[in-house]
Amino acid sequence: MIEVIELVKKFGDFTAVDNISFKVNKGEIFGLLGENGAGKTTTLRMLATMLRPTSGRAALKGYDTQKEPEKVRAQIGILFGGETGLYDRLTVAENITYFGELNGMSKAAIRERIRYLAQAFGMEDFINKRAAKLSKGMKQKAAFARSIVHDPDIMLFDEPTSGLDVTAARDVHDFILRCKEEGKTIVFSSHSMSEVDKLCDRIGVIHKGKLVDCGSVEELKKKHGDDDLEELFVRLVGAK
Amino acid sequence: MKLKHVMIVLKKEIKDLIRDRRTIISSIVLPMILIPLINIVMGGSIQKLEKDMNENVTVALSQSSNTAEVRELVRDRILSKNPNIVLVDADDPARAIENDEIRCIIDVENTYAEKLNKGQPIKITLQYDESKTKSQAAAEIVSMAVGEFSAEVVEERIVAMGFDPAILQPVQVEWENIAPADKGNNMMLEMLLPFLISMLIAIGGIPAATDLVAGEKERNTFEPLLTTLPDRGSLLLGKYFAVTLFSFVSLVAILVGLAIGYMVNPNSLTVGIDSGLQGIMLDPLAIVLALLITIALGMTFSGIQIALSTIAKSYKEAQTYLSFLMLATMVPGYATMFTQATDLSPVMFALPVMNTVAAFKMLLGGRIDYFNLVLALGTSIVFVAVTLAFAASLFKKEKVMFRN
Repeated sequence: MIEVIELVKKFGDFTAVDNISFKVNKGEIFGLLGENGAGKTTTLRMLATMLRPTSGRAALKGYDTQKEPEKVRAQIGILFGGETGLYDRLTVAENITYFGELNGMSKAAIRERIRYLAQAFGMEDFINKRAAKLSKGMKQKAAFARSIVHDPDIMLFDEPTSGLDVTAARDVHDFILRCKEEGKTIVFSSHSMSEVDKLCDRIGVIHKGKLVDCGSVEELKKKHGDDDLEELFVRLVGAK
Repeated sequence: MKLKHVMIVLKKEIKDLIRDRRTIISSIVLPMILIPLINIVMGGSIQKLEKDMNENVTVALSQSSNTAEVRELVRDRILSKNPNIVLVDADDPARAIENDEIRCIIDVENTYAEKLNKGQPIKITLQYDESKTKSQAAAEIVSMAVGEFSAEVVEERIVAMGFDPAILQPVQVEWENIAPADKGNNMMLEMLLPFLISMLIAIGGIPAATDLVAGEKERNTFEPLLTTLPDRGSLLLGKYFAVTLFSFVSLVAILVGLAIGYMVNPNSLTVGIDSGLQGIMLDPLAIVLALLITIALGMTFSGIQIALSTIAKSYKEAQTYLSFLMLATMVPGYATMFTQATDLSPVMFALPVMNTVAAFKMLLGGRIDYFNLVLALGTSIVFVAVTLAFAASLFKKEKVMFRN
C-alpha cells in the first residue's frame, strides 16, 4: 500500500531524512517513532506530496509522490497534532464541505457524508455552529470528520495527540482504531512509546533522519531482548 | 490547474472574508465613512477659513496715529469701499492682535496731511502677525485697499493738473478663456481622485492578503489545504482572485462613500477648494481602458501582497511587510499627484500606480490620448504577469512555504 525506498530530504546542508526505506501493508498501522526533529514530520510531508524528496522515492497505492502527486493526494487524509486547523469563521459543516469539494466530491455525496459523520462523531448538535465557538473536543471531532470526508484509503497522522489532555488523546486513539477498522492504511508519527505500543502493528524507529530499526513491537522487543519499549528506544537511538 | 478548484477556493475565501469583522471594518466600513467624512470636514474647514479671512477683517490704528483725523482718513477714504474691513478702537493694538481681537494695525505717519497736500508720498505701515493666517490675510486685504486709495489720489492729482487719468493706463489687459465649454478646470479633482483611486486599488487587498496566506499559516489551516487534490497553482489563483476582488470591493465602497459625501456636500469631493465635476471626458472607450488599467493595477498589487504574505513567517510579519508596501505605493502616487492632465508624459503611463493616476487625470482633464492609454494597459498586463509569476514561484518554494 505504501512503499518508501531510500528516501532522502535535505534542506541546504542539513539532512532531515537520510535514506529511509519501509513498507506499510494495507490495513496496517505503522508508527514512526522518534524524538522531536528526528525527521518524522518531514517524512509524512513527503508522503503527502507537500515536500519533494531530494532523492529516493515513495509510492502510495502504487502512485509515485513525485510523478502523480494529485493521484496520491486523492488517496490520503491527514491529521496534524496541536491546533485542529479548522477555519474558525466557517461552520463545521462548511469546513467539511470545503475539503469534500477540494477532494472532488459531488454536493450530494458531501451532504450524505456529512450526515453520516455528524452521527458517527456525535456532532449533530454543533454541525452548523462556527468553529470559533466550539470547545476543543468539538473542534477535534470536526477535524477528524474533515480528514476522512472523502473516505481516503490512507491516513497520515502527524503527532496527532501533541498538546492534548488524556481524554482528548484517547479520542484520537479511538479515531485511529476506527480508521483501522474501516480498513484504512495508517502511518502515525509519535514520540510517545505508550501510544505507539497501544496502536501500532509495526513501528519504524527514526533518529536524526535515519531509520534505525523497523518491525512489529513484539519483534523489536524480542530482537533487542527488552520488554520495555522506552528502554528499547533509548538503547536504539543512544547507540546511533 | 483546474478552474473548478480555483472557484472552490475563491468561493470559500469570499465567504470567510465576509465573515471577518476585522477585514470588513478596516478595508470597507472605516474608509467608506472616514474618507468622505475627512473630505467634508477638511473642505468645510478650508471654506470656513477662506470665509473668515475675508469677512469681519478687524483692524485698528496704531497708538501714535490714533487721532480723529487719521481715523476719518482711514474709515472714510481708505477703507470706504471695503465694508468687510471694520476699524475698531484698541488701547493696546499689539496685544489686541495677540488676543485675536484685531487682525492688523494701520500706522499712518503724523505728517501725512502735509505730505498729501504737497503731493509727496506718505508712509502707511501695516503691522500683522505672520504666524496667524487671518492676520496675514488681513494685511493683504488692507494693503489692496491702501493701493486703491493711492490710485484714487493719483487720479485726483492728474485731474487737478488738467489731464485725462487714462494717460496713466496706456495699455489695458483683457482676459478671455478660449477653452471649449466641456473642458473645465478640475484642478483639485484631477489631483485628488486619480490618486485616491490608485491608492485604494493598490492597498485595498492588504487585509485580505494578510489573512489568506500568513493568517492561514498561523492558524495551521494551510497544511491540510496543501494535502487536498488541487495543485498549488489553483490554490494560489483562488486566493489571488479573492484578494483582487476584495481590493475592488474596498475601492467601490469608498467611491460610494465619496458619492454620498458629494450628495451631502458637493465641495467635499474637492476638499472645498473648487466645485469640481466640470468638463469630465465621458468617452466610453477611454473609460473602459482606464477601468482595465485599474483592474490590472489591482491584480498587480494582489500578486505582490500574496507574495509578501507567503514570505512572512507570521501574521504580524505580513502586516509589517504590507505596511512597507503601502508606504512604497505612495511614492509614485505622490510623484504624479500634482501633475496636470496637460503635462502627462508617456513614462508615467508605463509605470505602475503612475499609469492609473495618469489615466484618470486624462479622463478628468478631458484630453484623451489613446496611445498612452493603450501603453498603460500593455505595461499593466506585463506587471500582472510578472507579479503573479513571482507569487506562483513562491508557492512552489518549500523553503518559503514551510518557513515556520
